[in-house]
Amino acid sequence: MKPSHLTALVLLAVIVIIGVGSHLIGIRLYDRIATNLMISLVLVVGLQTFMGNSGLLSFAHIGFMGLGAYTSAVLTIPSQMKGMALPDLYPFLTAVEVSPLLAMVAGGLVAAAVAAAIAYPLMRLSDAAAVITSFALLVVLYTVMNNWSALTNGPRTLFGLPRTTDLPTAASVAVLAVIAALVFKESRTGKLLRASREDEVAAAALGANIPALRWRAFILAAFLAGVGGSLWGHFITSFSPKAFYLKETFLIVTMLVVGGANTVTGAVVGTVLITVAYEGLRGTESMLNATSFGAGQVIGLTEIVLALAMIAVMILKPGGIFPSREIGDILARLRARKETRS
Amino acid sequence: MSESRLALNDVSVEFAGLRALDHVSLAVSTSEIVGLIGPNGSGKTTLINAITGHVKLAAGRVSIGDTTISGLSPREIALQGVSRSFQIVRLFNAMTVFENVEAAALAKGTPPDEARERTRTLLGEFGLGEKADELGESLSYGDKRRVEIARALAAEPRFLLLDEPAAGMNDAETETLLHTLAELPKSRGLGLIIIDHDMSLIMRLCHRLHVLASGRTIAEGDAAHVRSHPAVIEAYLGKGATHA
Repeated sequence: MKPSHLTALVLLAVIVIIGVGSHLIGIRLYDRIATNLMISLVLVVGLQTFMGNSGLLSFAHIGFMGLGAYTSAVLTIPSQMKGMALPDLYPFLTAVEVSPLLAMVAGGLVAAAVAAAIAYPLMRLSDAAAVITSFALLVVLYTVMNNWSALTNGPRTLFGLPRTTDLPTAASVAVLAVIAALVFKESRTGKLLRASREDEVAAAALGANIPALRWRAFILAAFLAGVGGSLWGHFITSFSPKAFYLKETFLIVTMLVVGGANTVTGAVVGTVLITVAYEGLRGTESMLNATSFGAGQVIGLTEIVLALAMIAVMILKPGGIFPSREIGDILARLRARKETRS
Repeated sequence: MSESRLALNDVSVEFAGLRALDHVSLAVSTSEIVGLIGPNGSGKTTLINAITGHVKLAAGRVSIGDTTISGLSPREIALQGVSRSFQIVRLFNAMTVFENVEAAALAKGTPPDEARERTRTLLGEFGLGEKADELGESLSYGDKRRVEIARALAAEPRFLLLDEPAAGMNDAETETLLHTLAELPKSRGLGLIIIDHDMSLIMRLCHRLHVLASGRTIAEGDAAHVRSHPAVIEAYLGKGATHA
């Protein structure tokens, strides 16, 4: 088997095992956590397609998730509910009501279109300038969502999305996202983009059009973020722009960076690890609070421990757990080594 | 491939008022190897950077045939058929040797299957077949140099500019490199400009030499002519050495 196929197989097996496993256990809480995990996978793997291949940290990703979620909301909230949920909605949109699946694709496309329209000039920037502008982009997207009341109900909570995202749906989308990321990484654009990540000067001297390469990856990442946002919207069913800001950004960046941004394997492993850690810590936190251990409440344990974990990984293994090789490549090399030895 | 010439016409480059290149003219055709030599700081690397668009010209013009390439970006110049290596190796470290070379072919718009095939052939030619799956960063210095040259060739350039290709190689490796490079003009129909401090390599490999000192051309011609040129001896050994 080709190493790249082996990678796909292993990663998809991880998703299926988590999905089927938590379904078999049959505890609703686990079902919810697993669905959340799948949605995170779509987002983190989406972030990997840009950040992993280009080497540029993007803070804007969650903003595009928001675009997907709101697009999906406007398209799927039943028209009789729209009067209440979105009182200022433009009249031509009030009658619109499409299936959540279609809305999910639309969410991805809207996010991708916005990314395509605004990101090209940013793609010329590298290093710190690129990071800071992506952060500014997040602020812009957040502010727009917070204030475009006609479409988002402003800073108030928007409710009324049909709850159509269940574990199998989320897992299926996660599978597609992983495949898309693996295919993109091995595509011509993916390979040249990775070359530019390693050495911009050398890649340009070979004739690589770096801004155009980054731009394509950014659009793909935004598409996946939009799809993830729509998926999440139909899972949580009510949200406000707050859901698409700093805390969430930090969480998905942590997932990707801890797992290893350069590999899709890293994105998957990081998402699983951080989700487990996050849920475990949250459980511990509420348990401590319930037993009123010591004086007063324990607040922020989860965030602090995750932040410290991120710092620790960055110091001990700066490239993350899977810094350069996909799991399939690692297994293939192990096998080859064993064969030469015997 | 049709014969064409890469030519520098009266090229000057300035860094903050300092003349790094002072009215230098040089030409190389697609069937010859030109050695670029001179003491440290004489402007050799700057000359390569001037060709590839990595520094701006203060005056003069670089052209391939009738096409002016000076003023274009490094990327556009690369697409005109100019490949280079760097004085300090610039490999794609977290990518495999195979991907390093493949990327160069892909950057030129080669179809993926053909790019893979060409990569395989080149790695074979450079004795890197066994290392195809290793990461760039894990290689020895000599291997890194070889990958860089293979990568430059994967773009199928008309002109190849090598900045100290033998630096860090041992004698045996240098000897192998010499044979590989000597074949290139004939086998691939390309022109080579080589900078190196290994004089025996340069003298044996190059058809013509171009000597720079303080950004100026002080001599050009074949090895015998250059070696006995008083200005060259003076530049390398100091004033008065000619009389010694």
